[in-house]
Amino acid sequence: MYLKKYKLANYNQDGFSLNGDTLKQDFDVLSQALDSSVSGIIITDNTQPDNPIIYCNTAFEIITGYSRTDIIGHNCRFLQQADRSQPARSQLAEAIANGKECRVEIRNYRKNGDLFWNELYMSPVKSAEGKITHFIGVQNDVTKRKKAELELLDQQNQMEQKILDRTRELRESESFLSSIIQTVREGLLVLDPDFRILSANDHFLRTFKVSSQETKGKLLYELGNGQWDIQRLREMLIKILPTSNPVVDFEVEHDFPHIGRKLMLLNAYRIELEGQYKDQILLAIEDITERREIERRKDDFLSIASHELKTPLTTIKGFVQMLEKIKPKNASEKFEQTLAKIAKYIDRLNNLIAELLDVSKIQSGNMELHHDEFDFDKMVAETIDNLRSSAGLHELKLEGKLGRNILGDESQIIQVINNLVSNAIKYAPGSTQVGVYVSRVGEFVKVSVTDQGLGISLEDQKKVFERFFRSGDIQRRFPGMGIGLYICQQIVKNHGGTIWVISEKGKGSTFSFTLPIEGRLQGEA
Amino acid sequence: MILICDDDPGILEMLELVLEDTGYEIIPEANSLNVRAIVNKQVPDLVILDLWMPVLSGDQVLKMFRENPITKDLPVIVISASTDGNDIALKAGATHFLAKPFDVEKLLELVEGHLN
Repeated sequence: MYLKKYKLANYNQDGFSLNGDTLKQDFDVLSQALDSSVSGIIITDNTQPDNPIIYCNTAFEIITGYSRTDIIGHNCRFLQQADRSQPARSQLAEAIANGKECRVEIRNYRKNGDLFWNELYMSPVKSAEGKITHFIGVQNDVTKRKKAELELLDQQNQMEQKILDRTRELRESESFLSSIIQTVREGLLVLDPDFRILSANDHFLRTFKVSSQETKGKLLYELGNGQWDIQRLREMLIKILPTSNPVVDFEVEHDFPHIGRKLMLLNAYRIELEGQYKDQILLAIEDITERREIERRKDDFLSIASHELKTPLTTIKGFVQMLEKIKPKNASEKFEQTLAKIAKYIDRLNNLIAELLDVSKIQSGNMELHHDEFDFDKMVAETIDNLRSSAGLHELKLEGKLGRNILGDESQIIQVINNLVSNAIKYAPGSTQVGVYVSRVGEFVKVSVTDQGLGISLEDQKKVFERFFRSGDIQRRFPGMGIGLYICQQIVKNHGGTIWVISEKGKGSTFSFTLPIEGRLQGEA
Repeated sequence: MILICDDDPGILEMLELVLEDTGYEIIPEANSLNVRAIVNKQVPDLVILDLWMPVLSGDQVLKMFRENPITKDLPVIVISASTDGNDIALKAGATHFLAKPFDVEKLLELVEGHLN
């Protein structure tokens, strides 16, 4: 308090050259008033060199952390420490030079080095002659407000950057998508919920030799000569949006304008996106005319090849059987064995030819199922009996019975049993036992074929039913094309049953399959 | 008398040997176009007929038989390596069908069933 009074007295004497007690008292009150302000207040003397501070109040000391002794006599700039390049500073300098008022927000530093934002209001004091004698600075610490403002600004910037990035990403992914749509070798149409065409890719336009203008905006059913106006297709397309059920592999054979008779494969999906793509339908159209023709030729080729291969085989088989008939009564055992071997290998060759044809039929979906009722137990017994003749040292043991007729394709089921038992014999060269077990499980019949052979590794168990799969370690030791189990699986599947294997390497395998006794259930795919 | 018509000379030769050995009289014919003339001359007791033959196929020969009152009940055993042979043969009016390659014994059984 003392110091302040002293200072003010000094100030009074030197600054304003006042005389008289009344005035001095007034200044004391004024000085106390200034000290009770929360805003920091300073006065600088512009008549002295470098415009030094000649007065500061208590709030200024508190805000800056400096004491009056540190402050008086200095230019205000010491508060900026090394931070001299702020734009607010030049604003301030300009105002001082021009004797103008100014308000700036400037970064200042406390005595301990902490940054604080100073909201500075500076105004000049002019003498009667208009000369600027003093500047008064009123300062408020706005660090908190400034920080909040800066954070907000920062967030805004970040947000803007994010929006920019997102927009760019969207633009990129849009051009990415459209480049995919344009490059696929499949005609693509995007339809709105009323089946009006929103866009068509280049491949579509090329396939149908049409322009974008005569396609876009048209109803799907108006295109060309009404080629897509098919009642069943209409029904399926109508269901796409409400149910999301896609149209899968719908074939349209039609005499199209410009391109003639073609076979087209249609797939349609609901576009599962929100936003501008919502409730649109993607229709993919593929010209499979040529592919179907190649498939047909391949099937034709295979059936002709099998026919041509079987013809001389018939002759050989006939002659061998003739030999058996006319063999001398005293024929040696070797002679008989040789004849039997020829007969066996003729059968094997015949099976190989038949299997090739089966694979082709399965692939083209032409494997026909002749559903007839037959005596299952009798069929199994006869099949096993036939196999016994070529079983060699292996003993085939048949156990269990179904005890009733079953509905299915007898010759195909015989094929499955033949295959499984032949495999059991083939891949168990060191053992003598093959077990065939028939049982009824619910509305299914189950047949298991067990051997004590090589077994199948866990990894290979998953693949044995695949087409042309041959396990690495048996590849060279056992002949085969890797299609037997594939055919078995397809036959069982076509009947509505399942086939599987349980096996341990080195211990043997059990192949089992089930078939529904009443035949394939209606509605099963 | 048995008429055998198959365009494959191997099959013809084999069947001739097997059937003659059993004691049957055989007319082997590789060209199906000659069948009509042969039958017009003398109706056989039984016919063994292939399906896939050039110009006139086995099922066409069969239909011809069935349309003719003289041959409409003639026993015909169709032999074929075609996968749909069974369906085609029975539809065309075959008495029996045997898929190639067949067992000779099976064929002899069928033949005997008609001729004895």
